[in-house]
Amino acid sequence: MTSSSAPSRKALSKIACNRLQKELVEWQLNPPAGFKHKVTDNLQRWVIEVNGASGTLYTNETYQLQVDFPEHYPMEAPQVIFIPPAPLHPHIYSNGHICLDILYDSWSPAMTVSSICISILSMLSSSTAKQRPADNDRYVKNCRNGRSPKETRWWFHDDKV
Amino acid sequence: MKPCPKPNPIDRASIWTDLRESDATLTIFRWHAVTSWTWDAQDETCGICRKAFDGCCPDCKLPGDDCPLIWGACNHAFHLHCILKWVNSQTSQAHCPMCRRE
Repeated sequence: MTSSSAPSRKALSKIACNRLQKELVEWQLNPPAGFKHKVTDNLQRWVIEVNGASGTLYTNETYQLQVDFPEHYPMEAPQVIFIPPAPLHPHIYSNGHICLDILYDSWSPAMTVSSICISILSMLSSSTAKQRPADNDRYVKNCRNGRSPKETRWWFHDDKV
Repeated sequence: MKPCPKPNPIDRASIWTDLRESDATLTIFRWHAVTSWTWDAQDETCGICRKAFDGCCPDCKLPGDDCPLIWGACNHAFHLHCILKWVNSQTSQAHCPMCRRE
């Protein structure tokens, strides 16, 4: 339900297209460890398989990330969510939304899909408890109309996990 | 197959020696100077558009004065056009995309 949320999705600008093609080539040459890009002909939506790192709570578990790029990428952050079922993690909601500052307020155009993936894997790896955020039910209910996580006003208060 | 006969190479050194030892004067009619330039940045590509500094930003056609680089206080370089787009898209104080310095 939420996975297809894409309010007023505009085609990629020429600049965005150019940059994504470069990122894709770079990814093919040097993919981040633990991730697999599922090849499609859609440059604007990447689906990426994540493998939990060994020695962490998510060892041998596989999840899927969906990355949707806005028209003016990289001036704007992509929308990144887990396609449910999302990993059990204190910062990941059951609808797949991820509470991670670099995806919202702290986005920088120097970041790449690859660097986002590494941040997400690091967030998973440092988790010490497999549990949902305390406000999971309330938040997911509020998102029922397919709202994008980019419209959420996030509070980033925990820098440990 | 027989190898192609090699043409006699011109012995450039001996031509110069002959010229020096003779009283001949040389008149240069024209000469072409060729130079190359490059931006002196730490990286080779712009962190925003990921295109080469020796090329230009995605909006420009020719590198050089029309598509210059700019260095921040933190010494990170970007195409001027790329960093302006980022700075203008920020509502509050913009930070360096590489190191978040203001």
